[in-house]
Amino acid sequence: MAQRSRKGRSGSKTDQEFVSEAEEILDRMRQDLADLNEERVAGEDVDPDVVNRLFRSAHSLKGLAGLFGFDPIQDLAHRVEDILDGLRLGRVRLALPVVALIDESVHLFASLLEQIGNEDALAAAAEPIGRLAQRIQAAREAPAAKSEFGDLALEPSLLRALTEYEEHRLRENIRRGRHICLIDSTFEIISFEEGLSQLTAAIREVGEVLSTLPAPGEAPEAQIRFSLLVASDTPASEVASRLGLAAGAVRLVQAGAPSSAAAPASPVAARPSGVAEADEEPTGAHHDSGETGGPESLKSISDTVRVDIHKLDELMNLVGELVIQRGAIGELVTRLSADAATARIGSDFAKVHKALDRKLRELQSAVIDVRMVPLSQVFEKVSRVVRRLRVDLGKDVRLELRGADTELDKLIVEELVDPLMHVVRNALDHAIEPREERIAGGKDPEGRIRIEAFQRGNHVVIAVSDDGRGIDTAALRALAEAKGIVQPGDVLSEREALDLAFEPGISTRSEVTETSGRGVGMDVVHTNLTALGGVVEVESTPGRGTTISMTLPITLAIIQSLIVVVAGQRFAIPLNAVHETLLIDGSEIQRSEGRELLNLRGEALPLRRLAAEFDLPAAPPDAKPFVVVIGLGEARMGLLVDRLEGQQDTVIKPIQGPIPTVRGIAGATELGDQEPVLVLDVSALLADLGRRREVL
Amino acid sequence: MQRILIVEDSPTMRSLLVSALEALDRPVKITEVASGFEALRELPRTAYDLILTDINMPDINGLELVSFVKSNAAFRSIPLVIVSTEGSERDRDKGLCLGADAYLVKPFAPETLRQIAQDLLDRSRRHG
Amino acid sequence: MSASLAETGAAAPRWQDLARRAAERRSAEVESVVVRQLLTFVLDASPYAVPVERVREIVRVRPITPVPRVPNDVCGVISLRGEILEVIDLRLRLRLRAAQSGRASRIIVAHSADGGVAGLLVDGVSEVLAVPENALRPAAATEAGNIETLCVRGDRFISLIDLDRVLGFDAQR
Repeated sequence: MAQRSRKGRSGSKTDQEFVSEAEEILDRMRQDLADLNEERVAGEDVDPDVVNRLFRSAHSLKGLAGLFGFDPIQDLAHRVEDILDGLRLGRVRLALPVVALIDESVHLFASLLEQIGNEDALAAAAEPIGRLAQRIQAAREAPAAKSEFGDLALEPSLLRALTEYEEHRLRENIRRGRHICLIDSTFEIISFEEGLSQLTAAIREVGEVLSTLPAPGEAPEAQIRFSLLVASDTPASEVASRLGLAAGAVRLVQAGAPSSAAAPASPVAARPSGVAEADEEPTGAHHDSGETGGPESLKSISDTVRVDIHKLDELMNLVGELVIQRGAIGELVTRLSADAATARIGSDFAKVHKALDRKLRELQSAVIDVRMVPLSQVFEKVSRVVRRLRVDLGKDVRLELRGADTELDKLIVEELVDPLMHVVRNALDHAIEPREERIAGGKDPEGRIRIEAFQRGNHVVIAVSDDGRGIDTAALRALAEAKGIVQPGDVLSEREALDLAFEPGISTRSEVTETSGRGVGMDVVHTNLTALGGVVEVESTPGRGTTISMTLPITLAIIQSLIVVVAGQRFAIPLNAVHETLLIDGSEIQRSEGRELLNLRGEALPLRRLAAEFDLPAAPPDAKPFVVVIGLGEARMGLLVDRLEGQQDTVIKPIQGPIPTVRGIAGATELGDQEPVLVLDVSALLADLGRRREVL
Repeated sequence: MQRILIVEDSPTMRSLLVSALEALDRPVKITEVASGFEALRELPRTAYDLILTDINMPDINGLELVSFVKSNAAFRSIPLVIVSTEGSERDRDKGLCLGADAYLVKPFAPETLRQIAQDLLDRSRRHG
Repeated sequence: MSASLAETGAAAPRWQDLARRAAERRSAEVESVVVRQLLTFVLDASPYAVPVERVREIVRVRPITPVPRVPNDVCGVISLRGEILEVIDLRLRLRLRAAQSGRASRIIVAHSADGGVAGLLVDGVSEVLAVPENALRPAAATEAGNIETLCVRGDRFISLIDLDRVLGFDAQR
């Protein structure tokens, strides 16, 4: 957007606007300047409000002039703004020369305003403006109360772009005697995020990134340059080589003084948020923990509020109710709009509904967000237990934790602690071999257990892996046969054999140590997780190790569901578990070993008729069923239903009453017309799949 | 139609800003981004007539964004309003110092935002 | 008084008001007798009752969603102000003749001693009675085990239901 070339338009209307507004600004400035001078004369302290007002006036004038294309005025205003800024920040002392300069500037502005429209006069003013500007510059640079960071070899523009928090971090790092350096790097605009995050991650391994300042690259349309202000214990020269950057890319701003560093008692926020050793407290990578000293520490006393989870539940319920009502209103809007008589009001209503809808969605996200807590709390508990246990068991084990930042609904996290603890304890107890055995097997004497959490779409996966014995599926199977869970002739896939570990009969203590690398209570873990709508899966290599993955929905609160119809009755299937839907012909269904299957792109998809599952009347044999492919983790199946009815926001509520509910039903939800719709328990349906042998 | 870019990581705040701006005296096209990085990517794509930005944002803060905009010949003339949190006077002033045209402190009256936006859009229109 | 009691939770104070007034009248007559307040209703043209303090509210019959694989005296679930509650057909539960719900039918939302909540489908709801403790008699041994006591009121026998047994699934099976 160009803003120049206004030649030949003197006294135009727009100029008048500029003039009148500029004059107002100048009037204010004169008044404030007078006040300021009085204070100076009286020897009083500079009233920050006055200086601020002056500063803002100069700033406004500068902006105004810029917009209207009056460059000379803009330049001068800029200088005045600069020196006022210096006054504000205490860099420039309030002395007569300074006041005089500002006063002179105001006069010059006034006279320039009179010349608006007269191009020649304006051009001629360039010289006196320039001189005045120089004098202001000189006055500004006069040594006075130094700004706190004035000593640093940093461009003022970069310092100016530091927020108060960033300044605090800079101050702190200087105090701790760290090296401060500036790292410049240019990226393509299209892909800078990735490059920048890689660079930042690499920097975080050696230090703390205090600030990230973008600037136009050499080819501004295609490139963008970032200047990263970094604090590190590593000298700047080494930083460059550590990061694989050219030496010139890292510029030393201030050398640190490590010997004079303050007591590094508490963990510093610079700790990389990736892997935390179990020997130290894992940090949640959020805040400075326990910085001592001075006014800074008081600032963030109550950044957080403790909330009773029941209140959150109530809040969530209320929001859920609103969501339902919103749906009902939507229906009304549709009806109103469809009828000619009410179409007009219908469309007004629609607008309001749309706005309401938007706000509601945000409320929904916000409340869900409030309920989200990071897994770090759970990880901390687990670390503590591991530290104690490994001593008790006399085993040398290292615990690695990743993804402590991953967030989950607080309720889920609370329910997760026990199963997770179970799994970790088992790994420690049974999976990791005693030292001698490990050495004999050519393994590192120190065993390793890693807990990794990450988000995958609408789910969070928590994987516990160890490099221990692994699960001996043959022995597992033998045990299952001995218990009658499996018949001698049965064919079991690798997966099914591993899943035997979850059978209640198998995972009892006495059997454990010999046969499986995982032991007690796996069926409990399975039950717990299923109750949360999650899934547990096992992978194992004998002799090498085992990984147990727990997949959980991120929140139980408001989710989208697919509404299906079976025998005239509606059911809801949480959308996060739905992979796809298909309309098939009855002839496509294949039968094998008493099960129904569908060939889905080369894979055999086990099918289950919902009508049969729930003892409902079956559809006529020539009807074309819909197949809803559901899956959690690795397991998949197809549900056969009569019809699909669309998607809805649903709030899954538990069914209250004396009757224990049917397996396969997770709860119920309302769809706005007050008739509850049963919600399917996908994980239960999937789990039952492996155990059922049907005869059709 | 004039275009406004909103840079704000809080969806609630974004929505507030959008509603305030929808009641302007002229039709405008509003684009929302949730972070400074997205703004950096978005700016070269379209010609904006007004930018609204928060200060506290995850990747680059608002001040850094202002600094970038004002140091870039292509974007420097776009009027820029900082909508800041109750955090820091200093931060606001820095923003002004870096070249922002106005600042608003939350909570603010939507009317105020409208006025300021209208003024800046008027100027933008006249001299864009 | 007939079956036109209000349908929201706001009704609760109303019956209790009625009951209180009835009780006050009574206690003017009879001194320091423990009085129980009972909500009376109709099943298969016979009067039954439950203690008022166990009743949360009474609602008109609304769409009931059947739940698969439950005992046949469970009608299904209803949605009530955001909660999903099971509804038990009290006629079937007490092994009376089955019948269609009529206009006067209602669902009594009641809770058991341990806090569990469920709805009871009945043919009609009558009134709240204040009954002195001594008007209650144990039920004859032949009655289905759900009846706690009979209460004599004038010439009527009203069966007082043992809610905990009715709402407690285990006791039944």
